Parts: sequence; structure tokens; C-alpha cells
Amino acid sequence: MAMSMEPFNRLVRLVARAFYDDITMKGENQPKNGRSDNRGMAVVVLDALTRRQWVREEDLAKSLKLHSKQLRRTLRFFEEEKLVTRDHRKETAKGAKIFSAAVAAATADGKKNPREGEEKVKLHTHSYCCLDYAQIYDVVRYRIHKMKKKLKDELDSRNTIQEYICPACKRRYSALDVLQLISPTGEHFVCERCNNELIAESDKLASQEMGDGDENARRRHREYLKEMLQKIEIQLKPLIQQINRVKDLPVPEFGSLQAWEARANAAGLLNGDPGGNDPNRANQGQGYGGTPMPYLGETKVEVALSGAEVKGEEDNGADIGSPMKQLPPWMIQEGMNLTEEQRRGRGEVKSDTKIVSSSTSTYDIDEKKPNDVKEEDKSIQDEYIKAYYAAMVKRQEELKMHQKTQNELLGGDVSNVQETHPGRQVGMKAKREDDDVEWQEAAIPAVANGAPKVNDLNITASESENEDDDGVDWEEG
Amino acid sequence: MFFHMVLERNLLLHPRHFGPHLREKLVMKLMKDVEGTCSGRHGFVVAITAVDGIGKGEIREGTGFVTFPVTYQCVVFRPFKGEVLEAVVTMVNKMGFFAEAGPVQIFVSSHLIPDDMEFQTGDMPNYTTSDGSVKIQSDSEVRLKIIGTRVDATEIFCIGTIKDDFLGVINDPDAAV
Ligand SMILES: [Zn+2]
Repeated sequence: MAMSMEPFNRLVRLVARAFYDDITMKGENQPKNGRSDNRGMAVVVLDALTRRQWVREEDLAKSLKLHSKQLRRTLRFFEEEKLVTRDHRKETAKGAKIFSAAVAAATADGKKNPREGEEKVKLHTHSYCCLDYAQIYDVVRYRIHKMKKKLKDELDSRNTIQEYICPACKRRYSALDVLQLISPTGEHFVCERCNNELIAESDKLASQEMGDGDENARRRHREYLKEMLQKIEIQLKPLIQQINRVKDLPVPEFGSLQAWEARANAAGLLNGDPGGNDPNRANQGQGYGGTPMPYLGETKVEVALSGAEVKGEEDNGADIGSPMKQLPPWMIQEGMNLTEEQRRGRGEVKSDTKIVSSSTSTYDIDEKKPNDVKEEDKSIQDEYIKAYYAAMVKRQEELKMHQKTQNELLGGDVSNVQETHPGRQVGMKAKREDDDVEWQEAAIPAVANGAPKVNDLNITASESENEDDDGVDWEEG
Repeated sequence: MFFHMVLERNLLLHPRHFGPHLREKLVMKLMKDVEGTCSGRHGFVVAITAVDGIGKGEIREGTGFVTFPVTYQCVVFRPFKGEVLEAVVTMVNKMGFFAEAGPVQIFVSSHLIPDDMEFQTGDMPNYTTSDGSVKIQSDSEVRLKIIGTRVDATEIFCIGTIKDDFLGVINDPDAAV
């Protein structure tokens, strides 16, 4: 179970980009202008949820820097779409603390006090949400199935009701009327008005009567449908592959909010806060000592190299054929596990807790506004390097410390910091492929193994990409 | 689809039936009046399963007839779009074929018959595959899917298709004989 988080998270990220990329969450009386165009927000929210479990919605809004109303609208939408489970409850300050404690336990950040604002919470209704992976899996399969079926049916004109036309008076009839139109001999249908034999609309004569324009339109429509079908095959291929990959994996489940909270708190006490101190890392699914709780993360440094190759989703189709294709960032395994040697190689880097804490922002590369692209290349690279250093420093520290003392050192406000750098996050995602070279070069002096590692990551990612290609073709069912 | 439901109806009874068997007379009249009828709202009433209650009769002025409000349970049949039914073919022509599923008439137009089946004229007009292995003619039994319904106040007519997975002939009248 613990290991199955990432494939499912990847599925969610693919789904977000495939189906919710251009969804606008519009308020009822908001004018539609450039400012209110919040396309892409749905993707950001889903991405953020892949890095969390149960989360209080106001906390999520805060860390995403979204208005809570706006976020709620998005979450309600996803609830309707069956991707997200929500729970609402009236809470006293105590109740809020229990949840905070659960979050702290889940993030193995036991030393940290709940944030100040939460202590003042009186009796308010709070909403919580998390992803419903099992349902997402089903919903997405169903959605793709329906998409294809709809087009195929229309292509075969399977569900269209035949129309009939009178060649003399041009009166039209639907197949639903034919009971009254049967000729005395029962061989054909006749016009009620002029008793002429009716012709099925798609027949040659009828289309001639209707003129060539109609026939052309029909042919064009068929071609359009075929094209759409092909596009589905090509553009959704990464998604379908991911579905196949996830097929036999145990689905991650958080249970109800209460159950999750209880479990997280209990686990936090029992395990005495194992090494991890970051909710995001915990979400990578590195179970602690085989416990079935993915959020008890082992100590591990993971640097998401998502800036590496950015490609629009639409590009995916184009290079399906090449087995070693470069993956867009959201297809790359989110975490990159550095080897022991690499960690040692970094010995010379000075410890700097400030940078350490900011390093967690690398996990949030996907929280971006898709429209701000390519603006801050320079600062992006700087930030990237900084984050990269930071991760190494962190690793370094972790090696030095025993797990328990380590928490004291790093525990501070890591989870707070994670999403306080929107600009940087934007940048990380917005990185274009041509940036590669530059930042790789920049990284090399710092870590000898830095650049090759990037390649390794891609290779393993593409291999795993292809291994399940021969999965069962369930869509036909 | 079949439903078991409770319906109400006012029955008009002639005074000659008033006597010790009033209730039986009422139930018989109810069956005669209701079973086999079709309402657009509920569908075809297939059978009455129970009479729940008979209210107080009210004498119609000037005639001597009495109106009894009757509550009864019945099985109704109402076809829905998307429903798969088994039906018996009643008529075949070049436009398609008609079939009946109980009280419902269904028309399957020729473009909703698989492309590999061609219309053959003759004494027994039919649709046949090129290898002759499958034949649709009068009295064939087919499984079809309803793609459209026309519901009038007293009538339901359906359009069906056999151009989909697992649809088509489910027996061969020639082979059976
Ligand atoms: Zn006419």
C-alpha cells in the first residue's frame, strides 16, 4: 500500500491536465474578463491535493494563496466530479487542535505547535477534503469509455432515429411516426398527405433532393468524428497507460476524516516521530517500517526535477512512437531519490537551516499559474540551484543527526514554508526545455553526479512508462 | 422495465350488480377495465395483483350507477430508452422490421440493422447475412435495445436497434421447426 501512492498521484496529475486544464471556476455574477480568468486553477488544486491527505480547506487556501471562496468552489466542483471527498464539521478550538495534531503526526512533526491562528478557533464549521483515489480510478475509466463510446456510436449513427422524407411534398417524418405510415401492403411507408412512398433520409435520392451541401456536411462531420477518436487515442495515451499501470496496485485510502485523524494521532504517538518532517515527503508513500500508513515517511531527500523538460500536454501525442521520449515534468516521478554516494559527495556544502527549510518548496513546482510562463528564467535557475543545494544540505544534516534529534533541528516551520514562494513555483513549472542546459551546467560544479542523475531519472521514468503497454484493453468493454 | 405500483381508479358499477357479490363484481370489472391498457404515464398495466381498498360508493344522480373509488396494486410495464428487450418480429420490409415485446411495438429501421445483413424480398421478406447463417423474418426472436420512445396518452411506441454488442437474433424459426 505504501508504495502505491505515487502512481496514483501521477494519475491524478495526468487527469487534471487532461480534463480540467481549461475549466474556469466562475462566480455567478463575475464578469468574464482577463482578471477573472482562472483557468488552470483546477489543476493547481488537484496537484496540491496529491501532496496531502485530509486537509482543512482554509489551510489549503492559505497555502495556495487562493481566496477560500474560490477554493471552495473548485473543491465543490471536484466533489461533483467525484474526485474529491469532503467532510464538514462544527469544531471548537479543541477539535481544530486534534486535527492539527493529526497533521503534525502525519507529517511526523510532533514538536511543532499548532499555528497560532488555529488556537483561536471557536465553534465554526470547518471543511476538509482529500482525494478519493479509488473513485478517481473508476470515474476516469468511465469517462474515457463514455467519450469513446459516444463518438463511435455517432460514427455508426447507432442511436440516431431514422428520418424519412416524402419526395413529392418534402414532408419529413421520424421513425417514431411510422406506425401510422405503413402502406396497406406493408412493404413501405407512405406520406400521410400525398400517399407517396417515403424515402429514408440518408438514401441517395433523398440526399440529392436535399442538395449536395448536406451530403458534404455529413461527410465532414464523419471525418471530424474520426479525427476526434484518433485524438483521444493519442492524447490520452499517457493517461491510459497510467491507468493500466495502476490497475493492480492497492488503492491508497485515507478513510473518513475521523478515522484518519485517529490513526494519524495514534501512529504519531507510537512511532515517536520518525525521521520525516515534511508532509509532502510523507505523501511519497515511503511507509515507515512497513506500517500501512504512507504518511509516516522515512527520512529521504527527494528533489523534484520538474523544471527539466517542460512540454505541453498536447505534445505527448506527437512523440508516442519514440520509446525513450522525454517526459514533461508532471510525468516524471515526483521524488528523486538520491543515492548514498551522492549524499557523501556533497559534504562540502555548508549547513544552512534557512535554505533547508526553503528547500521544501521544490515539491511545489506544480503549483503554478499556467499563464505566467517564461518570465523569470533567470531567477528560476537561481531558485532551482538554491533549492537543490538546500536539499543536499538537508541530506547532509540528516546524516549527521540521529532521527529524533533531527526533528528538533528541522522541525520548526518546514510545513509552513512549503508553499510560500509562489513566484518561484511559477518559475519552476514554467521552465522551458531550452533552459535545461543552463541549469544543468550550473548544478554540475556543485555536485559531480547532478547532471547524470537527471538523465537516469528520465530513463527509468520512460521505461516504466512502456512496460505496461500491453495492458488489458478495458475501454472496449 | 416492470414496476409494481399502487394506482387508484373510480369504477362505475351498474345497480344490477348490487348484492352479496358486489366486491367480486367490482374486482372483475377493474380487471376488465384496466389490464392491458396503456397510459403514457405508467406504461402498460400487465396484471392486477391486489385490491387494497374500495371506498364508499356514490350514487350518480339520475342513473342509479354508483362510483366506487378503488385502490389497487398492479404490475406495469414501461419501456425506457437504453433498455434491452427481447421481442418477436411481426413484420419485415425494406424499411426495417417491426417487433413486439408483450404489448409494446418496436420498429427497427434498416440502418439500425447490422450492415452485413441484407434485405431479401419474397414470400417471407427477411434480413440475412451473406453466408445465410443469421436470418431475421416474421416470428424470429430478437434482442434489441430501445433508442427512442414515443409516449402518447394511451400508447407507447419504440424505436430499437440491433446494431450493438450482444444484440440480434436469439433463435432461428427455421431451425426450430
Ligand atoms: Zn408527401
